Amino acid sequence: MALTGDNRYFEDFEAGQVMRHARGKTLCEQDNVGITLQVMNTAEGHFNEDLMQRSAAGRGGWSRRVQFGGVTIAMVIGLAMQDTGENALAELGLDKIRLKAPVFHGDTLYAYTEVLHVEQIERDDGGIVTFRHYGVNQNDEVVFEGERTVLMRTRSA
Amino acid sequence: MSDSDFRARAVLMGKGNRYEDMVPGRTFDHHWGRTITDGDNAAFTTQTLSFCPLYFNAPYAQSLGHPGTVVNPLLVFNLVFGLSVEDLSEGGGPFLGVDDCRFHKAVYPGDTLTARSTVEDARESRGQPGFGIVRWHTEGFNQHGDRVLEFRRTNLVRRRGGE
Repeated sequence: MALTGDNRYFEDFEAGQVMRHARGKTLCEQDNVGITLQVMNTAEGHFNEDLMQRSAAGRGGWSRRVQFGGVTIAMVIGLAMQDTGENALAELGLDKIRLKAPVFHGDTLYAYTEVLHVEQIERDDGGIVTFRHYGVNQNDEVVFEGERTVLMRTRSA
Repeated sequence: MSDSDFRARAVLMGKGNRYEDMVPGRTFDHHWGRTITDGDNAAFTTQTLSFCPLYFNAPYAQSLGHPGTVVNPLLVFNLVFGLSVEDLSEGGGPFLGVDDCRFHKAVYPGDTLTARSTVEDARESRGQPGFGIVRWHTEGFNQHGDRVLEFRRTNLVRRRGGE
């Protein structure tokens, strides 16, 4: 019995492919406040609503808690993971990550991915795939983009 | 409010640094460290829909040569980033981007991560006079001192008096 899907091995990726991933995620306090504090991020703008209401002018002009960018990055890549990493052997890196608009509790994120490069290497069990991921909110505004490089398992391995 | 009022006597135990503290070449050895548990990994991975079984299916991870589940690299990234926040960016200012992030070594539940950052660049922001733009090189290490990841982060950082 295969634990992973049969259509997302190294051999299935081709430069130029663009995917719209099937699921969206509405961000809630559990996502932003929960993960921000789980990873010891002490910046109050992510978890002190009173501070944000009192000092909006001094905190980027936002009058409510803003989602930690690390959560946005993880959530968009997560939304893309089944299609772009279910058969990963290892995550190799991230690059050109840009947070282009703030994300707030109640916003919904959707993910898109473009395959940038596919590279065969000197091993039988995998090859390297580079993606560009995009995160889009409920108003179709791009809030995140960035590149990700994965060592992807070959079907034959 | 009397003299004995605790609020009148209280001194703010302030946290964080400002743009003026970000001198290129300065290194921060960040506080605390954090042992990553199985619970952290499973919760983070499922909450972010990060559906690769390496991170939540131990026999599957073992079949690919690991001793058990692998810690989701996005959690490693977030945790090392999180440990750096008090020193680098708690003073306020949006996080703009990350470049050159490399995952050097797998992390497993039970490993303890620490973080260190060096200021690479600091310049004034023309568009936002209350802020500067700072780039740091941040590295994460396991309990054996092996570097598990590195990345460059760029942020707006509030200037002193830039409230």
